[in-house]
Amino acid sequence: MDDLQFRRAIYADPNNPDDDVIEAQQQDPSKKQFAQEICKLDEKIKQALQVPIPDDLCDKLILRQTLASHQVHKRKTRIHLALAASVAIVGGLMLNFMQFSSAYNKLGDYALAHVYHEQGSFNNNGTSKVTLASLNQKMSAFDGNFSQSLGKLLFADYCRFDGMKSLHLVYQGKTSPVTVFVVPKNEQLSFDANFNDKQLFGSSLEFSHSNIIVVADKNESLEQWQQSISDTINWSI
Amino acid sequence: MMTKQVRYEALVKALHGDLYRYAYWLCHEKQVAEDLVQETFLRAWRALDSLKDEKAAKSWLITILRRENARRFERKRFDMSEYEEATITDTQSVTAEQQIENRWLRDKISQLPPEYSEPLILQVLGGFSGEDIAAMLDLNKNTVMTRLFRARNQLKEALEAEPVKRGKYNG
Repeated sequence: MDDLQFRRAIYADPNNPDDDVIEAQQQDPSKKQFAQEICKLDEKIKQALQVPIPDDLCDKLILRQTLASHQVHKRKTRIHLALAASVAIVGGLMLNFMQFSSAYNKLGDYALAHVYHEQGSFNNNGTSKVTLASLNQKMSAFDGNFSQSLGKLLFADYCRFDGMKSLHLVYQGKTSPVTVFVVPKNEQLSFDANFNDKQLFGSSLEFSHSNIIVVADKNESLEQWQQSISDTINWSI
Repeated sequence: MMTKQVRYEALVKALHGDLYRYAYWLCHEKQVAEDLVQETFLRAWRALDSLKDEKAAKSWLITILRRENARRFERKRFDMSEYEEATITDTQSVTAEQQIENRWLRDKISQLPPEYSEPLILQVLGGFSGEDIAAMLDLNKNTVMTRLFRARNQLKEALEAEPVKRGKYNG
């Protein structure tokens, strides 16, 4: 290794770990001296570079980070709270929707389900009888009245027809009770004039404010029921 | 969360000194150096998860700091006319020979062109090898070695030329 090469190597890195640089030092004392000189210079440079560090720098750095991460944390909790609130609202709305929206979208389907649900409560040969006067009193809620009785009225009371207040009438039929619903008009349930299943069949009459639905077994004549309802009912509006 | 905090604090404690000094020699101003270090560590905190190898932490931080320093010039154009020696502040005024020499040497290092002083600082202060410095500064290794050679050479020449004239002559 020639002198110039050696000098360059030492200048570039006084602690040069290359084998040939170390070997050259060992062979030539003047080179070794030069290397030591530069090492000394490097020590001086190193000392000169060690500018004092501000005492509080370390604390400042940690403080600043703590503040920054605290803000991030706060922002995060706010987002989480908002998320939780949104989920709660959506959940509430869905619950509401499921509870109060109808599972049926046809008038007839609901009427049949309603009748089946209460089938056991009425006895076709029951002794209880509701008078025309008390029926008309109840009918006043729907702005209507019957001029004469349609038959033997076993039961008359308000009930919930898919969430709407309606009048539930049960008449004595030929073999099983005939159910008549007086239901306010509603857009949720589509009107169907005639409907049936294996046992029962029914028909709806549309009036200006209400629908009247008759559900009976297949022995009854629905036309006749409809006719007598149309003949006897009077709407005050 | 907690472990990240612990890692960060360890990182700050271990490396803030080196980083501050490096920043100081990059910008020659205490306040700016401090700001640079603050920015660097804040960025480091945000990206701490991307630091997988703790051994690489120092060069990682220095890379952030260099980028931060470059950004400083993008944001605001300083009127960097001639570098004035008077702006180097030295808090050490103990009259020991070593201190005087330190101060004098600091002036000389500050006067080195930045492309020479930067590798020198990385090598002497940071203890990085020629390859590391080349990677950090995006240069090839030969260039780095040449610059290191020139930096030391200039300092040595200055040191050899100066002592005769150094000091105060009265009368």
